[in-house]
Amino acid sequence: MADTRVINLAKTLVNYSTKVKPGDKVAVIGKAIAEPLLLELQREVLRAGGHPHMLVRLEGSQYIAYTESSEEQLKYVSPMQKMVIEDFDVMIQLFSDCNTKSLSNIDPALQQLTAQAQAELFKTYMQRSASGDLRWVLSMFPTTGYAQDAEMSLEELQAYVYSTTYSDSDDPVAEWNRIHTEQQELVDWLKGKKQVVVKGPNVDLTLSIEGRPFINSDGSNNMPSGEIFTSPVEDSINGWIKFTYPAILRGREVSGIEIQLKDGRVEKATAVKNEDFLHAMLNTDEGASGVGEFAIGTNKRINRFIKNILFDEKIGGTIHMAFGAGFPECNSKNVSAIHWDMICDMRDGGTIHVDDELFYDSGEFKK
Amino acid sequence: MTDPRIDNLARIMVTYSLKVKPGERVAVMGSTLAAPLMLACQRELLRAGAFPDLIPSLPASQHLLLTESSAEQLDDVSPLQRTIIENYDAMIRIASLANTRHLSGVDPVRQRQRMKALSPLSKIRFSRGARGDLRWVITLFPTSAYAQDAEMSLEAFEDYVYHATFADSDDPIAAWQSIHDEQQRYVDWLKSKTHVHVKGPNADLKLSIAGRTFKNSDGDRNMPSGEIFTGPVEDSVEGWISFQYPAIYLGHEVEDIRLEFRGGKLVKATAGKNQDFLNSIIHTDAGARYLGEFAMGTNRNIDRFIKNILFDEKIGGTIHVALGRGYPETGSKNESAIHWDMICDMHNGGEIYVDDELIYRSGSFLI
Repeated sequence: MADTRVINLAKTLVNYSTKVKPGDKVAVIGKAIAEPLLLELQREVLRAGGHPHMLVRLEGSQYIAYTESSEEQLKYVSPMQKMVIEDFDVMIQLFSDCNTKSLSNIDPALQQLTAQAQAELFKTYMQRSASGDLRWVLSMFPTTGYAQDAEMSLEELQAYVYSTTYSDSDDPVAEWNRIHTEQQELVDWLKGKKQVVVKGPNVDLTLSIEGRPFINSDGSNNMPSGEIFTSPVEDSINGWIKFTYPAILRGREVSGIEIQLKDGRVEKATAVKNEDFLHAMLNTDEGASGVGEFAIGTNKRINRFIKNILFDEKIGGTIHMAFGAGFPECNSKNVSAIHWDMICDMRDGGTIHVDDELFYDSGEFKK
Repeated sequence: MTDPRIDNLARIMVTYSLKVKPGERVAVMGSTLAAPLMLACQRELLRAGAFPDLIPSLPASQHLLLTESSAEQLDDVSPLQRTIIENYDAMIRIASLANTRHLSGVDPVRQRQRMKALSPLSKIRFSRGARGDLRWVITLFPTSAYAQDAEMSLEAFEDYVYHATFADSDDPIAAWQSIHDEQQRYVDWLKSKTHVHVKGPNADLKLSIAGRTFKNSDGDRNMPSGEIFTGPVEDSVEGWISFQYPAIYLGHEVEDIRLEFRGGKLVKATAGKNQDFLNSIIHTDAGARYLGEFAMGTNRNIDRFIKNILFDEKIGGTIHVALGRGYPETGSKNESAIHWDMICDMHNGGEIYVDDELIYRSGSFLI
């Protein structure tokens, strides 16, 4: 029998996050190392009456594809991949790399080529996701690769992953329902509000959320989750923010980032480490030096930085902003090839005022 | 770096067995235990200019599907699998079980239902295969399970597999080419011959091959291969034959079988062990009591019985016959739900006369 926490996580993903119904075509995607969780997902999908399709990937296969392929082969989109995106009802995807740096030495241009070839398919994915025709969730199976990034033993990372997803509790689905309700109250309260002022030792920022709904990230698409997010009015952001955790993009880490914004544009960006990379990324395109997201992490069980954004952006008591692409469902108009999340700690006296009312203080909501 | 023999085996299948051409879509199927060989196949396929799709499956997935599925779920055929069978150009199937007895405890009724659901796909596979639209090759990746059946250590079994496939030789493709050439000589010589008489300590059997074609099994569909086979004229088989190796069917072993034929029909069948099982199988249907295949194994690197028919039927110096279904491409008209290969040793004075000419003695061709 599998670890009961693995069984619980599978149940949460199938019955809570994606709510698999009888007859649903469900793609379950992960690396071979995620076998224990993949098998429990297959079982839970079958028990929910769905048709599980186990799309197992081999560690090392992507590296071979990048190093051995011609341009034409890199641009090839498998008909099976197309079928999943175009016809399936549910997609459950697991971060399950044995080595998170396996593609570090691959020419980014090659990765760009693949991304371009899949752009059309990605559009279909976004459309079907927005219309609710394709429900998807992203989660993690703890591996030594992620444990190493987190500077933990595998056992410690397992405990962390299963704690933050509530897989170690008696009734994980009840916990997630509770989180959904709590966050929904916040999202409802924020409806129709306009002005946000963020202040504290690491930040002094004003921004407008007029006409920009907050989304309740309650574990439907990310497991774990625990954040509320929106895309602020593009030209409304002014002030200064210091990101207290390293920001990671494409495997590169930039630490000690401070950014000054004027009318929604980056005016000055400095970093203690890898400042060149920071500047290069913010110059990717027009939208890369604009803001696509403003969000508040709420998951109190996510309490340390593990260099994995699926977890880190939800650290309870932090806010994060993303430079680059915004969310259409939040009416964002910022378009970019990048979406780079950066996290700022608020627990040490940070406050958020919304339309002059105190909304949040030192990591706690006041509404 | 992987075992160079694994790279060789991949190269043999891609360039010799399937002769993959640029632009072809090729699926590679096996369990995750076969990851090293699957990855080697991916690399060779990319180098051949093809578009590879790796389809690894989890060793425990099949048992889970058969035990957890509802009747409706058992009947569901994956559209992804259908896409491969209907549209792909070639398929590499890698036998790579973690446990050769994993389905022993599964209700046979459910197994039959699953097989029935998949039979339309099998039909398409056979018809596209016969037309040459879907080329396929099957091989084996050495696992502990097969080593255990073979009563060998895994290391010794690996040596056996890579020796039998010539993957351990300097130029495996030249080795297979020479097997092809040698067997082609026999097949050409046998063209339009009519009478076969097998004589020796283990057989006195006459059969007609008038109008029947011998096929050169040279490694294009089975890797390893090394046999020539035909379907005898159904009502022509007269005499007796005994089998020195256990005959295995559906996981059952029957030892010391002796069969006697008159007018093509099996009139007496005895066994030293599991007589009841032998009786039940030969009464499956009318065709189960006629021969569908007569063949000679030629692979000198296959020199011991390992309880795996992909290898055993090619033991150099043996012949085998199969009760039940014949191969239409040989001219066989015998139809049956079964096809049961049984192997007879010829090393010890066995002789084959064709149209009264001695062509084979004690395991060696004389032509």
